[in-house]
Amino acid sequence: MIRRWRAQNHAEREFERQALEYLEGLYNFAMALTRDRTEAEDLVQETYLRAFRGAAQRLPTGDVKAWLFTIMRNIWINDQRRKRRQQDTEELDVKEEDEGMRGRPLADERHRPDVMHEQRSLGQEIRHAIESLPAVYREVIVLRFLEGFSYSQIAAIIGCPAGTVMSRISRARAELRKRLNHHVVGTVNVPKEEGHTASKRIRGAGEAYE
Amino acid sequence: MSEHIVHLIELYLDEELEGEERQRFEEHVAQCAECRVRLEREQRFMALLAHARPLYTVPEGVRRHIEQLWARPSGSRMRVFAWALGVVAVVLAVFVFRAYVYDSVRRSWADPGNRRSEFALLAVDTHQRWVRGQLPLEILSQSPEEISAWFADKVPFNLKLPSFRELPGQPKPYQLEGARLVGFKNDYAAYITYRMRNRPISLLVTSETVARPSGGEEIRSQGLVFHFEEINGWKVLSWSDRGLTYALVSDFEERGQASCMVCHPSASEQHKLEGLRR
Ligand SMILES: [Zn+2]
Repeated sequence: MIRRWRAQNHAEREFERQALEYLEGLYNFAMALTRDRTEAEDLVQETYLRAFRGAAQRLPTGDVKAWLFTIMRNIWINDQRRKRRQQDTEELDVKEEDEGMRGRPLADERHRPDVMHEQRSLGQEIRHAIESLPAVYREVIVLRFLEGFSYSQIAAIIGCPAGTVMSRISRARAELRKRLNHHVVGTVNVPKEEGHTASKRIRGAGEAYE
Repeated sequence: MSEHIVHLIELYLDEELEGEERQRFEEHVAQCAECRVRLEREQRFMALLAHARPLYTVPEGVRRHIEQLWARPSGSRMRVFAWALGVVAVVLAVFVFRAYVYDSVRRSWADPGNRRSEFALLAVDTHQRWVRGQLPLEILSQSPEEISAWFADKVPFNLKLPSFRELPGQPKPYQLEGARLVGFKNDYAAYITYRMRNRPISLLVTSETVARPSGGEEIRSQGLVFHFEEINGWKVLSWSDRGLTYALVSDFEERGQASCMVCHPSASEQHKLEGLRR
């Protein structure tokens, strides 16, 4: 009995270690979904709360990372549904893929003079580009390009057919490319080997754009 | 020369092309300058995105909070384990020395008097199933009067849900959501659900003659005796008042008394409520 309990305890510690490894990715996913720090913090905490509670009853088998992202997305979707029920006048961009690029307007701080200078950071610019997409695209961008999930894993996380994932990723990518094009276009002829030079040129292009 | 295969570039880079398809793609790119340029551009675009990772940094407070989350339930599992070992030892000793008292031991084992009450367990089980979406509500309403009226001819006791008196500057801390009947001891108990800052809370109510609160930590407050315990990571607060027994289930971090603040925030205790809201 004690041995079994020890083994169980070991498995739990291992699970905890693994689960905490994905904190950064989950927080980034939460920010991409909510675009709001407080909401993202709540979402991350709620996700871990549920994950730990679920694991206390039965440790998940298989892909812990995909499991955590799925939990987070489900919580967020349910919250969105509830909000939609509460105030159905507000338009939410959860489901309608064909609604094009009409996302919930982002509280745009880019034009505030005090944050203008920060704009030079490439990360900041990419962040804004992603945040300006509707939720359906924000989530696949983060899952695919920042978290490295495969199409089939993404299909499982967001609960839709692989074909839908493929077309969403393609459209998301096209939209994002449009927003960040100035970083890519000017450097087409830079040979791959000169990665370092290429990134310098990328920055150069960004400054020229501003 | 075969047609350009631009549409496959993304799939190729995302490692979604396999076998023959992948091979054909690579062959084409090797001999088609235009597709090669497009491929390199797309590669650069992806490197750009990867370069920006992570987009956001996790606030230190959030990290700490989450590390604590796990520490807590695992601690309680340890306690349960130690408690179970203790009980096993006592039962064995009694069984060896006085075999004939076995029956009474078994009775005390099942007796909720000093451990978890059946009612609290039912409250947690019901709450869990509701949270998981496995237990639909039978009436959805934010009106306590409406829900009380719905229960009127369904439960063998008189249930009157309190209305929250909203004071200026003190908005309603929780929202009534709905209710349903739950089977308990050959009859029904009333199950009522709330949300507080989007977190689920629920209340299970039955007659005092059917269930008495027991077990856990005793807290005396406002002339009532509350029992506070943790079951499966949920916080359960049970008490009897005016012929009815209640079990409140939540996932709030605070212990005992703070849980009362969920429904009874008073101006002087507002700070405790703030604590409850984190
Ligand atoms: Zn070609």
